[in-house]
Amino acid sequence: MISNAMEADVGIPSENYSNTQGVYIYRPADAGKAPGERPPKRRKVAQEPNGSDSNPCPFVPLLDEGETELSVQLRYQTYEKLWSVQEAKIREILDDVDAEVLENVSSFVSTTSPETFRGCIPAALLTVGSNVSSLARLLSRLNDQLSSTGEGGVIVLESGDAPNLKTTLKNIIRTAIINTEGNDGYQSFFTSREGPRLLGYDLDVLGEYVAQKSIKHLVLAFRDSEAFDPGILTDLFFLLSSWLDRIPLTLLFGISTSVELFEGRLPRSSVALLKGRFFELHKASNCVDHIYERIQAESGKFWLGRNLTNVLFEKSSDYFQTPESFCRTVKYAYMSHFFSNPLSVLLAEDIPDELVQVRLCEAIRNVPSFREYCETLLEEGHTRRVRGLLEDGGYLLKQTVQLIESGQQSMHHMFQAVKFIFLLLKDLSIPKKASMSELSIRALSGELRHSPLVEDVLAVFKRLDSSKFEGLVSLIPESAANLPEFWDIRKDLNALLQTHKGPQPLRSAYDNQNSVIGTTIVQQRVKLNKGKANLPEDCLKYTKIVDRAHALLESYFETTLLRPQELPFHEAFLLDMRNPIGGVFAPRPRFAIERALSNPSDYLMYTLHHTEGTLSAMQPPTSILYQLYLESGALVNLHDLWQAFHAVFEREQGDSCDERMTMALFYRAISELRALGMLKHSRKKMDHAAKSAWMGL
Amino acid sequence: MLPVVDDQLPVSTPKRQRITETNGTGDNPTDGNGSPEFTPSKRLKKTPQRPTAETPAALKASGLKTPSNRSKAKALFSTPPKQNTASSPTKVRADRSAKKKSAQLLFEQDEEDIWDGGDRLAEEILAGDNDTPAVTNGQDNEVIKTVEAEDSIEPTTDKAAATPKRRAGRPKGAKNKRSPTPEGDLPAHERYFFQNRAGPPRTSNNNLNKVTLLTHEEYFEKHAQRQDPCKREISFLNDLHRRSFSQWNFEFSQGFNICLYGYGSKRPLTQRFADWLYRKHSASPPPVVIVNGHTPNMSIRSIFATIVTAILGTDIPSKMGAQPIEVLELLQSVLKSRPSQKPITVFINSIDAPSLRRAANQALLARLAATPKIHLLATADTLNFLLMWDISLRDQFNFAFHECTTFTPFDTEFDVVEEVHNLLGRKGRRVGGKEGVEFVLKSLPENARNLYRLLLTELLSLADEHHNLDDDMDNAEGAAEGPKDETGIEFRALYQKASEEFIASSEMMFRTLLKEFHDHQMITSRIDTSGMEMLSVPLSRDEMEGVLEDLVLA
Repeated sequence: MISNAMEADVGIPSENYSNTQGVYIYRPADAGKAPGERPPKRRKVAQEPNGSDSNPCPFVPLLDEGETELSVQLRYQTYEKLWSVQEAKIREILDDVDAEVLENVSSFVSTTSPETFRGCIPAALLTVGSNVSSLARLLSRLNDQLSSTGEGGVIVLESGDAPNLKTTLKNIIRTAIINTEGNDGYQSFFTSREGPRLLGYDLDVLGEYVAQKSIKHLVLAFRDSEAFDPGILTDLFFLLSSWLDRIPLTLLFGISTSVELFEGRLPRSSVALLKGRFFELHKASNCVDHIYERIQAESGKFWLGRNLTNVLFEKSSDYFQTPESFCRTVKYAYMSHFFSNPLSVLLAEDIPDELVQVRLCEAIRNVPSFREYCETLLEEGHTRRVRGLLEDGGYLLKQTVQLIESGQQSMHHMFQAVKFIFLLLKDLSIPKKASMSELSIRALSGELRHSPLVEDVLAVFKRLDSSKFEGLVSLIPESAANLPEFWDIRKDLNALLQTHKGPQPLRSAYDNQNSVIGTTIVQQRVKLNKGKANLPEDCLKYTKIVDRAHALLESYFETTLLRPQELPFHEAFLLDMRNPIGGVFAPRPRFAIERALSNPSDYLMYTLHHTEGTLSAMQPPTSILYQLYLESGALVNLHDLWQAFHAVFEREQGDSCDERMTMALFYRAISELRALGMLKHSRKKMDHAAKSAWMGL
Repeated sequence: MLPVVDDQLPVSTPKRQRITETNGTGDNPTDGNGSPEFTPSKRLKKTPQRPTAETPAALKASGLKTPSNRSKAKALFSTPPKQNTASSPTKVRADRSAKKKSAQLLFEQDEEDIWDGGDRLAEEILAGDNDTPAVTNGQDNEVIKTVEAEDSIEPTTDKAAATPKRRAGRPKGAKNKRSPTPEGDLPAHERYFFQNRAGPPRTSNNNLNKVTLLTHEEYFEKHAQRQDPCKREISFLNDLHRRSFSQWNFEFSQGFNICLYGYGSKRPLTQRFADWLYRKHSASPPPVVIVNGHTPNMSIRSIFATIVTAILGTDIPSKMGAQPIEVLELLQSVLKSRPSQKPITVFINSIDAPSLRRAANQALLARLAATPKIHLLATADTLNFLLMWDISLRDQFNFAFHECTTFTPFDTEFDVVEEVHNLLGRKGRRVGGKEGVEFVLKSLPENARNLYRLLLTELLSLADEHHNLDDDMDNAEGAAEGPKDETGIEFRALYQKASEEFIASSEMMFRTLLKEFHDHQMITSRIDTSGMEMLSVPLSRDEMEGVLEDLVLA
C-alpha cells in the first residue's frame, strides 16, 4: 500500500508549488490583508453581531451596500421560511407519487423467496423511462424500510461498478456490509474472522454475513441495467443462482427502454435463471405539473411569473428532466429573488419600523409599478396621498405593505380561479384540454380573461342541468363562494330542488334538450328554426338561477384574472425574469467561448481603440489567431497562419515588432486553441493542422 | 503614379493617356484605382449608380477566385489579336459585352458562383463604375483598355512591357487576398459545408522548416518580457467576477455545486475564491481541497484521499483501499459518521482536462458531488464539455453554471511549447532533436549504435512503403486520416533482424539495449490494435535520415 501522506500533501503556501501539485489542501497564501479586497467588506464583518455563528447569513447588503443588517437578515429568514414550506410540499408530492409502486415492490421483496419461484432468482423489473431519479428515490426508501426492520438491505449497483466479475462481486459484498456495519465493520469483518483470510470477492463472506445477521431479504438493484455488460450479468446470474440457498437475494432492474429489449440482450440460459414481476413508475412530466400547481396555487406570498414558467416548462419538455432538477430550478428562482431584490424584504411576516430607511424608500419609489400607481392616483385626484408617498417614508412603507398584501391576495385569487377553470375543464366535457401549467402561463400573462377558453367554459356552464350544477357548487373557490350573491343563488337553488320532485334533473333553457328545432316549409325550402320548447315552471326558475350564476362567474373571472404585471409592487412578489435561470441551468459554453474569442471587445472594453470588426495587435493573441483561424478551411497551414498572425503585429508595430516575441504569442495562442479543442494534428500535409470547430454550429 | 501621367501628357492624345493609366493601375493596383482624376468623364456619365463601397478586400479575393470569372478574364485577355483582325472593338462595345455576360451570369447563378461571390462581381460589372477601388473592376477595365490600345497608335513594346508586369503583379495580390472564406455572411452550417467541400486541400505548400521554432527557454524568456496591452481590462473583468463570490457562497449553502465556464484560465479566480472563503469564515475556516486537472498523471483516487485527509487530519486510517471507489465510500462513511463536520469545499480546476475526462472518472466525481457536505466548484475550458455528462450525471452534479470569461492565459495549465510541437507533429524536441540523439548515441556502445541504425533503416523503408500506400488512399477517397500517427516496427521483427545481424544474441540483451533508448526518449513504443508492440522514433523523416547518415558515415 502506498503511503497516503505521500499523495495527500498538506498544502504548502507557495504559489509555484500549488501550480505543479495535482491535489492539495488549500492554505491561504498570506492570512494578512487581501489584495484587492475593499475595506467595506471588512467593516461588514466587524459589524456582524454573530460572526462566530456556525451558520451566518450568506446574503450581502444590497442597495450599494447601504442596506441595513436587519433588512439583510430579514430577507434571508423570509427566504428560508418560504422555501422550507415549498420544499415540504415537494417532498410530500415526491413521496406520494411512487408510494404505490414502493408498496408493491416491497411486498414483492418480502413475500417472494427462491422457494416460491422453484429455484429461480426472484427479479423485479422496473421501467423508469426518462424518470431516472425516481428509481434512486425508491431504492433509498426501500433500503430504509428493510434496514430499519433489520430484515436486510439494498445493494445498488451502477454500470460503472461492474467492469469485470471480480470487481462486481467485491462491490456487491462491500456495499452490502457497509450498508449496515459501516466502513470499519467491513474491515473488521475480515480481520475478526477465524480461519484463513478470505478474498474480497468471495461470496462466502456475504454468506457468513447473512448468517450472522440473520438477514432475510437482500435486494441487489441494477440502476442502469442496459449499460451493464451482458456477459458479466450472465456470469453473475449463474453464480448468484448457485448461492441462492445461502444468500436470500432478490434482483431489481431499473430499465429505461423496455423489458423486451432488456431481455433480448441476455442469453436465454441466464434469463431462465430469473423469474419476476414487472412494475412501472410514473412519468416525470405529470409529477412536474403537479409540483408546479402546488407551488404556485398554494403559495401565499411569492409567485413565479410567466416568462419564468415558460423557461421552466420549456426546459422540462426539451430535455429529459427529473422532478428534482425541476424543483432545483424553482428553488434557484426563489434564491435569486431574495438574494438580489431588496424589495423582497417586504414579504417578511412582520415588518419592524426600523426598516424605514432612506435607501429602501428610494428603491421603492424607483420601482416602475410604483410610478404607475402614483400616476393613476394623480389622475384620480389624490394628490395628497401621492405627496405623502413621496415625502413620508413611514407612510410609504405602510402603504407599500398594504398594496403588496392586496396584490398577493389577488394573485392568490387568480390561481384559485385558474384552478377552478382547470377543474371545470376536467369536469365538463369540453374538448379543449389544457394542463394546469398551460393555464397558469396564460393567466400570468393576462391572456386568460377574455380568452375563448373561458368563454367556452361559461357557455357550457349555462347548459348544465341541476344535478351537475349542484356538483360544481362545491368546486367554486371560496373567494367567490363567500359572496352574498352566491349565497342567494345557493339558497334559491336548494329551495327549488326541494320543491322539484321529478326523477329528471332540471334543465335550463339553454340546454339542447330543451330547444326544439322546428321545420317549416316556405316556398319549397326547408327552414330550420330553433325555438324554445315550452318549459315547465321549475325549469324556468332554474334557468333564472343559472343566469344569475353565469353572470356571477363572469364577473368573478373578470375581476380575478388580471394581468399580474399591472398590480402595484408586483416586483416584490412576482419574479418574472428569464435571465438567471436560463443561463444557470442551460449554459451555452460554446457560444460564450466563440464570442469571447471572435469579439473580445464585448468583454474587454477597449479604452484605447475601438477595434470592432478589425484585427488589432491590441487584442489578446488567442483571439487574433482565432479570427484568422475562422477564415481558414478545414485544413490549416500553420506556416501561413503564422505569417498572417505576424503580419497583424507587423502592421501595427512596424519596425519595433519583435518577431520572436510574436512567435511566443503565437505559440501560446496555438496551444490554447488546441486545448480548447479547435485544432488537432493532421497528417495530410506537413505543418498542417485540422480544424475541428466551426463557429456557430 | 502622378509623375508618369505628367510625363506622358504633353505628347499623347487622350486615348494614349488612358493607356498609360492602364499600365499605371497594373503596376500598382492598390494606389491608382481609387483616384478620381483618372476616371474619364464619359464613363462616369454612363453609370447611373455608384455601387456602395463594399469591402474591397473581399471583392478582390472573390473576383480572383471565381473560376468562371477568371476564365472570362483570361478569354478577354487572350482575344485582343483576334478581335483586332476582325474589327476594331471600341471600349464601348467591350464594355457592353462584359455587361451582357454579367447580366447572363446574374440570371444563371449556379451555386459555386454564389459561394465565391461571382454574382457580386457580376453586379459590379453591370454597375460599370470603375470608381470603386475593387481590383476586379480595375482588372476588367484594364483588359478593355489593352484591347483599346491595340488599335491606338501606341507602340507595341509599351504594351508588351505592361502585360508581364501586370501578370507578375496579380499573383501577389491574389496570394494575400485568397481566402477560403466565402464572401458575405453565410449561415454557420453553410460555412461548414463550404470549408469542407470535396477536393484536394487548398492550402499552400509552405512549411515551417525555415522558421526556427522556439525552445522552452526562449519561450519563457519572451513570455517574461511580454507586456499585455489589455492588462487593465482583464483585471477589471476579473474584478467583476469576484463580485459574485458571495453569490456562489450562497449557492453552496443551498446545496448547489458550481461550474464555471468561458474562455480563459479560471485558476487564479478560484484561488481568489478560496482566499475569500477562508477570510469570510476566518474564525473556523472550512477545509478547501484544490485539484488541478491539467496536472499530468493525476489520479482520481488521490483526490478522494486528499479529501479524506482534509477531514480526518492526522488520524487517517492506515488502509484506504487501492480503488478510487473504495476511498470514495470511506469518505462517504466518514462524513456520515460525523454529523457536526463542516462542509468541505472541493475546487476542481479544468474538470474537462484529459486526465479527468474519462467517463468512469466523471461518474466518480459526480458521486462525490452528490455527497452531502461536499461543495464542488468545477471549472471547464473546452467547447463541448457538457457532452461529458448524461442526464443522471448532470442530476448528481447539480451544477449551477456561471459564465466566467477571464481572458487570463493558461500559463500554468499547459506546456505551451510541447503542445505546439505535438500539434506540428514534431515530437522528440525534448531530447534535443537530431543533435540530442546523436549526442546520446556517441556515448553508447557500438552494439547500441548498430541497433539504432538498424531501427532507423527499417523505419525509413517502412515509411516509404506507407507513404506510397497513403498516397493511394488519399487519391482514392480524398480524406484518409488513420489513427496511426507514425510508422512503427514490430518488436519481434526488429529483434529478428537484430539477431540476424548479430547485434543482440538474446532477447534479454535486446531489451537492455532498448531500455537505454527508452531512458533517453529516443524511441517510443505503443501497443497497436492487434496487441503487438510497435517501436518508433520520435523524429521527423529528415532528422531520421540525418542521424542515419551520420551513423553510417561514422
